[in-house]
Amino acid sequence: MRRLHAALAVLLAGSMLSLPGSALAQERTVKITGFGAKSGVVRVFGINSEAAMKAAADQINKTGGVTLGDGTKAKFTVEFLDDRCNAEEGISVVRRIASTDAFVAVGPTCSNVAESLFGILQKKVGDASDSGLQFPIIADVAAKGGLAKISEWAFRNVPSEFEMYKSLIAWIRKEHPNLKTMYGGVEKDFAHSNATYGVMKGQAEGAGLKVLGTSEWLLNDTTFSTQVRDMKRANADIVAISAHPFTTCGVLKEMARQGVKPKLLIGLTSSSSVETLQGCAKQAEGIIIPTSFAPVTPEAKLAAEQVAKFGGSADLHSAAAYEIMFILKDVIESQKIMAKPDTVKADRNKMRAGLAALKETKGLLGKVGRTADREAIKPYLYVHAKDGSWQVLYKPTL
Amino acid sequence: MDFYLGLIQIIGVHTLLGLSAYCVLLTGQVSLAQAGFFAVGAYVAGMLTVLAQWPLIPALAVAALVSGAVACAVGFPALRVKGLMLVVATVAFGEAVRLFFFNFTYQIQAGTLHLGPHGAEGFRQIRYFPENGWSTLDVVLFIWTVVALVMAGLWWLDHSRVGAVLRAVGEDELAAQSVGINITAVKVSAMTVGGFIAGIGGGIFAHYTTHIEHAQFGVVLATFAIAYPILGGLSNVFGTLLAAVFIQGFLIEGLRFMGDWRNLLFGGLIVLAMNVRPRGLLDAGTTRALRRLFAPGKERSGA
Repeated sequence: MRRLHAALAVLLAGSMLSLPGSALAQERTVKITGFGAKSGVVRVFGINSEAAMKAAADQINKTGGVTLGDGTKAKFTVEFLDDRCNAEEGISVVRRIASTDAFVAVGPTCSNVAESLFGILQKKVGDASDSGLQFPIIADVAAKGGLAKISEWAFRNVPSEFEMYKSLIAWIRKEHPNLKTMYGGVEKDFAHSNATYGVMKGQAEGAGLKVLGTSEWLLNDTTFSTQVRDMKRANADIVAISAHPFTTCGVLKEMARQGVKPKLLIGLTSSSSVETLQGCAKQAEGIIIPTSFAPVTPEAKLAAEQVAKFGGSADLHSAAAYEIMFILKDVIESQKIMAKPDTVKADRNKMRAGLAALKETKGLLGKVGRTADREAIKPYLYVHAKDGSWQVLYKPTL
Repeated sequence: MDFYLGLIQIIGVHTLLGLSAYCVLLTGQVSLAQAGFFAVGAYVAGMLTVLAQWPLIPALAVAALVSGAVACAVGFPALRVKGLMLVVATVAFGEAVRLFFFNFTYQIQAGTLHLGPHGAEGFRQIRYFPENGWSTLDVVLFIWTVVALVMAGLWWLDHSRVGAVLRAVGEDELAAQSVGINITAVKVSAMTVGGFIAGIGGGIFAHYTTHIEHAQFGVVLATFAIAYPILGGLSNVFGTLLAAVFIQGFLIEGLRFMGDWRNLLFGGLIVLAMNVRPRGLLDAGTTRALRRLFAPGKERSGA
């Protein structure tokens, strides 16, 4: 009997000794919570972001996971919450995330949500008179210019549309000097498309193009005959459409119906997606869009494949979410984030400081610069719709 | 904890929105203009605290007065029609207000920042609460003090002669008129009080969300405004509160873990609630039962 007990003790001791290395490593997980629109007209952006975050987490986990501050390895898990593109819900979702052990959140989809929830964050770090929430958020999709300026706890990994359209218009002027006039179309009630149209128009006028007029419509509109009639009457060389895929397709179909054939079509960054091709590939043929994502590098090709495996499609927005997961991994490791319940406050500060200190990150198309106001300077290229797919038209030298 | 306090803030603001519609519904009118009054309150209060640097309470008072005045002005022509025509008229008013703010730009330069409403891009940096060091709990206490005051006011109104007059008009306009009640004055007064309350709610909403834009004040918000008192029941003010808790606390936040199914359940559960409790979650029968339970003596003497 004694021998049996001794054998059991040895077995138990042996199994205990073998546990710490493998079992503990398996147990440590770091949950990254994303949030965005998974309902309504722009739900596809949330679905793609979630898929991209999960795909990136899977890639990171396959290569060993993330090393925490105490030297242990952890795996990423991803949770994604729906804010319905609603500011109140966005605030609520972020408060919910901030009430857990999370030390960062990724989102949102909609710029109007980002406006509100960046507003509830503390404006300046260390300002004791400001009772705003002290929680780092990094945006993947919300694309309206200058949003990260609202709070020092807000970061973005979205491209600068100002730079993209400035470059595109200059390129068009150089490549197509015969094109002299432009007509605009804008989805007026959506912060991103509305603000970006201001950029398009300003750049066009600055580059010497004559803007003959602007047609306006709303995100939920389904008929565009009046707007396109005005467009037809203007008979401009270039038509620039600042709208998301749903109304971009509506307008393009109406243009085809009314026989509006401009010499050149420009679209909004967000429309360089698979949704546009699914909705109106034929009518979109030739449309030129600047984008910060196309599967042109090995990393980008792999990302596109992985995102598809998780039920999404890679575009400039979801690619940003994919990149963010790798950025977070780097910051966790460089800042020695512990990811423990008793280090939450310190981890949040470390994450914020780590994100703010970044001067450069690795992007799917190349190196991404970081600005002092917590925005990204991403490489970009121009794509055009050709034969039912997005093909690279030109890659500017940056 | 912050999350629950934030949720309590949302419920408080939506209770105010619902109570603004409650006043009008008491007179038997269905108004979808409350979102418009809410928007007026939001923009006025936001402009006063951000652009004029006013303290919050005077800003809310002015916002409430402006919204009340707008409601009074709208009430005269709008309440000449009833039923479905009134619904259409008030929807049109709400959309007119929304489109006004869609095109409204008034900005001033403060250092490198441009502050104030900027048309379709909205009005950002309404950061009175954090900039003045209000904690989440402070904001909760402030909002619920306002809600309690408004509910107490409406409770008193409901139990006074004025309340009886409002309900008389709501029950049977012809009978009320035949006993000498000035129907137009009663309806316009209810609309004005509703506008006043919506203005306060809108003002707080602007400071809670820190950014407002036209799209927040559309037909969906107007529908929520009347859904609260209808779903909660019109027997007393607590029905609206209960419905705000049910919708914001349970249907929107409580079911968030259900992901995509939440949106399907949202509509289904409201339909179910309306079928199971056709006179509202807190109808007159339930109120009587609760009174019997908590104050049996009072109930007997009142009977």
